[in-house]
Amino acid sequence: MKKSRESIFKNKLVLAVIAELLILVVAGILEPGFFHVEYNATTGMLYGSLVDIVNRSAEITIIAMGMTMVIALGGTDISVGALVAVSGAFALKLLRWDVTLYPTPGDYTIAPFFLVILVPLLICTAMGLFNGVLIGKFKLQPIIATLILMVAGRGIAQIATNGKQFTTGYTPYRFIGQGSLLGLPFPIIITIVICAAVMIFVRKTAFGTFVESVGVNPNASRVTGLKSDRIIIIVYTLTGFLSGVAGLIYSSRISSCDSNNAGVNYEMDAILAVVLGGTSMTGGKFSLAGTIVGSLIIRTITTLVYYFGITSESIMAFKAVIIAVVIIFQSEPVGKWLATRQARKQKAGELRG
Amino acid sequence: MQGIEIQFPGVKALDGVDFTLRRGEVHALLGENGAGKSTLIKCLTGVNKMDAGKIVLEGKEIRPTDPKNAMDLGISTVFQEINLCDNLSVAENIFIGRQPMRRGQINWKEINRRSQELLERFHIHIDVTRPLAQYSTAIQQMVSIARAVDVDAKVLILDEPTSSLDNEEVQRLFAVMRDLKKQGMGIIFITHFLDQVFEMSDRLTVLRNGHLVGVYNASEITKLELVSSMIGKDLDEIFDLKRASIKKDAPVALEADHIGAPGKVEDISFTQQKGELLGFAGLLGSGRTETAEMIFGVTRMQDGTLKIDGHTVKINEPMDAIHHKIAFCPEDRKRDGIIGDLTIRENIALALQARRGMLRPMSRKEQDDLSNKYIKMLSIATPDAEKKIRELSGGNQQKVILARWMATEPNLLILDEPTRGIDVGAKAEIQRLMLQMCEDGMSIIFISSELDEIIRCSNRIIVMCDGKKAGELNGEGCTQADIMRMIAGEKDGETA
Amino acid sequence: MDNRKQNKLVNFITNPKYLMVLATIGIFLVIYIAGIIMYGDKGFATLRTFMMLFVDNAYIGISAVGMTMVLITGGIDLSVAAVASLTGMFIAYGTTVLNIHPLICMAFAILVGVTLGLAMGAMVTYLKIPPFVATLTGMFLARGVCSLISRDSISIDNELIDKMAGWKMYFMTFSDGEWVKVKPVSYINLNVVLFIGMIIIGTIILQKTRFGRNVYAVGGNEQSARLMGLPVDRTKMIVYGFNGFCSALAGIAYALYVKSGWNLALQGGELDVISAAVIGGVLLSGGVGYMIGTFFGVLLKAVIPSLITFNGTLSSWWGKIITGALVLLFVALQQLVMSGRLFKKKKPSASHQKE
Repeated sequence: MKKSRESIFKNKLVLAVIAELLILVVAGILEPGFFHVEYNATTGMLYGSLVDIVNRSAEITIIAMGMTMVIALGGTDISVGALVAVSGAFALKLLRWDVTLYPTPGDYTIAPFFLVILVPLLICTAMGLFNGVLIGKFKLQPIIATLILMVAGRGIAQIATNGKQFTTGYTPYRFIGQGSLLGLPFPIIITIVICAAVMIFVRKTAFGTFVESVGVNPNASRVTGLKSDRIIIIVYTLTGFLSGVAGLIYSSRISSCDSNNAGVNYEMDAILAVVLGGTSMTGGKFSLAGTIVGSLIIRTITTLVYYFGITSESIMAFKAVIIAVVIIFQSEPVGKWLATRQARKQKAGELRG
Repeated sequence: MQGIEIQFPGVKALDGVDFTLRRGEVHALLGENGAGKSTLIKCLTGVNKMDAGKIVLEGKEIRPTDPKNAMDLGISTVFQEINLCDNLSVAENIFIGRQPMRRGQINWKEINRRSQELLERFHIHIDVTRPLAQYSTAIQQMVSIARAVDVDAKVLILDEPTSSLDNEEVQRLFAVMRDLKKQGMGIIFITHFLDQVFEMSDRLTVLRNGHLVGVYNASEITKLELVSSMIGKDLDEIFDLKRASIKKDAPVALEADHIGAPGKVEDISFTQQKGELLGFAGLLGSGRTETAEMIFGVTRMQDGTLKIDGHTVKINEPMDAIHHKIAFCPEDRKRDGIIGDLTIRENIALALQARRGMLRPMSRKEQDDLSNKYIKMLSIATPDAEKKIRELSGGNQQKVILARWMATEPNLLILDEPTRGIDVGAKAEIQRLMLQMCEDGMSIIFISSELDEIIRCSNRIIVMCDGKKAGELNGEGCTQADIMRMIAGEKDGETA
Repeated sequence: MDNRKQNKLVNFITNPKYLMVLATIGIFLVIYIAGIIMYGDKGFATLRTFMMLFVDNAYIGISAVGMTMVLITGGIDLSVAAVASLTGMFIAYGTTVLNIHPLICMAFAILVGVTLGLAMGAMVTYLKIPPFVATLTGMFLARGVCSLISRDSISIDNELIDKMAGWKMYFMTFSDGEWVKVKPVSYINLNVVLFIGMIIIGTIILQKTRFGRNVYAVGGNEQSARLMGLPVDRTKMIVYGFNGFCSALAGIAYALYVKSGWNLALQGGELDVISAAVIGGVLLSGGVGYMIGTFFGVLLKAVIPSLITFNGTLSSWWGKIITGALVLLFVALQQLVMSGRLFKKKKPSASHQKE
């Protein structure tokens, strides 16, 4: 009983990994150079599709860490995409301050660099806190509470930059998204550090269990002495912070801010990563490792689809098919049907044996 | 119904049970939890499919496919939990799905008029156009009965209809039942209040473990015989309970001084000695649960002071209470107790973990030891600690919740209806456990609707009424009549 | 007699069922009148400005009719804007590139919309997939297919479409012995007729048919609805199917409005529709909401950008922020209503029953 139960849960992770490997094999067959990784001595960086996949999945992976727990709490956060835009907009605002005074982009910053990093992160954390308070304290439905910032967030980002797109050439800032450390693109390093930090925070303390408990039954958790509202607030605030980090990486990658297009559909991708990773949308048990694999799957498919020469917008159709398959298999009635089928098979096997 | 047989994967929930209902009779269906009452009802209403047997209604064999179909066939059911939509108006709840139409449109006037008339038969005079959510549970219960009655049913099934009603409301319901009976309707009455069984029913059928134990005439069986037929255990074993003995010099553990939360309970004062079992009696909504929730910090205490071991304490939320070594098993197990998707182990460790704070997690081994210890001690029926708690029966869930709180080693344990909705055997076990813990020096506040249970276990009894303390009685030598008189006396005093 | 009437009125206003709708209408009136006071001299007070609220937002309104029903069942549909965009693409590509009769294109688009709606409904109803996820899938699919058809904006060049889009009914006034157009010219077009027609149809369905009442019951308590013998599954399927129809119809209205099809059209439009319904007092947890509320929700949401345009100095982005704030306000209000402060339970006392 014990083993089978745990193996089912682990199976989801295993399934996700197998899916990822399968997609990679397909990619390898279609594009022989797919697994080729090259070290460029002059830039000191590794190049290749695999590195690229991990690198490009950074933003979604980072956001999805928070989203996993949001979903485990039985909620959703659809404001993360808007927060990505907010973060980039404020960073660029601080780098350039006023384009009429400093019309040409260059290797300079107006505000001190630490503020360029800190202020956007603080603003996004505060916005996450706003979400958390609405949901935790005022018991709003997560989707509607985060809808508020999803609508208003981009407006705030636009107003911060007066509706203009700033560009920057400031080297330390560009390093965040374009630099490299130990041969790896810097976003990968950030992702590893953040994933490790979140996983340690969640699994080496009782926080993970508390999140699962509140996700399953908030009332009972409160009566058992858990401060449900505080846990909800922490999770949404963390997600806000992580969206801010993702926003910095994204805007650094493109060396500018784009309040209209930065982070569009990130909430969808993050949720998809979580669901692919085996965490159920109805809340409860969650798996951070699964989420990381889920995020990689999304990016691998995207990369693969590019090889077919299909446009980025149409990738959505493929994503749709994949989610449909995954959620249909995850759904309760199908699960039950599969279980009874399996049981029947086993029974037949026993009879024959 | 003849030879009904139904199987769930692995378990035979009902095995060859025969059941006959005559026209114009009230037939009580009795049995412990898991005896098969609900399953039988679900077969009748088409929620569950039967594996064998047949249902014959007025000489014709029927096979209800779903509740709607059963209703059309003349079998109308009021389920235990109120199954209405509280966003809709009272009138609409009675008529939805079969609204009278006029020129292709719903005739709202007719709906409202007929609902008003129908409820007046129950002596309920309310504005039927208001949302159901605005009315009390008792009214909602009456509305669901009104809905069931109005469909012109031949058979009416009432599943625990009285559990949320006070005495007066129960009597009103009984009057309606007698009325329906006179009109020739057959009523299946499920309840765990044995007094009500004897008051209302003509015959009774007892089930145990999915088997038929017997069919009796209500006038020919005593209460004791009935109980023993339901549980199949020696009666002595159940009723042989000894009240906890308190040492004369035992210190005062808890002292409540005029505590209250306006609008809920007011002006409650009492003291409790170490090792004392303090019973809280009173009708539903009398403020018993509210007092407990206030002590535990679920609702905020606004007036008065609370002293633990002589020190004044401030309790704003459950965490504070836990730190003061108070534990609380809530009344609504499903809503406030179990964390359904987590395992037994996680459920047991949760309160202790919450007290330790999230930065000092318990190791897996600690959790395993803890849960195994309590599974054994409370004889929780489960293969291992990794089963999800929602897969357990009600009684076993209650034990897990009890284990959760025992693990925190409290000085004061508050038990709100710990024996509600669980079978008689488990009930006795929990009572015995309570008394044992008191012997070991724990103080217990015990809330229950069942007076004999309170009288049997408590050292002292606090009687609540209308959000106030009506009085205090000694457990020894107190009778049910004493308590009832105290509740009633307070009521008379108010109206005079 | 008067007293009784008054009582009835008080009863009506304090009834939490209607409170949210009254709040929406009230706030709309306050903002609209404030606009007239502030920018009346610039022409805000004219009939034209008022009618343009309808003309410019008809497609949102049409979609909001379906969304209101979905929300009342306790669901949500994120695919509406994508389906509308796909509809526009079908019409643009079909008429302009493939030279198919526009009515056939429209019929096909509606068929696709309803089918997709039913498919998502089936996922929600039978596979018990959270509506949020199921419709997200639908949204991805619709957007993806749309991009597969064309990545570029296609402008529609078709006589019938031009005729339909150009049809206008002008408001006339009688002066100097003849009928003349009201100045400044104000009119209603086909989209406005569709919008108001759908609101009326929606109201009749919700208030006057058994199906409509089942929609409320499902949203109030699905389990209870099932045990009361109501056709829960069928109701949910029809609601999602109907919403697919509304999305496609909104797409047609949008195509007539902008006379082009574009794969990225109406990006984020689902939020406009949902927030219009929420501002209109529809409860996202289901069970509560009125078409008339949604109607005023659409107008209230429309009047804000209109005011910002009249102001002239404010960035148009304030529109988004104000919409966000309005949603917050309404959600807070809903919370207040539901938390029991206004929904207070009444336990009839003994005296009550003797009345």
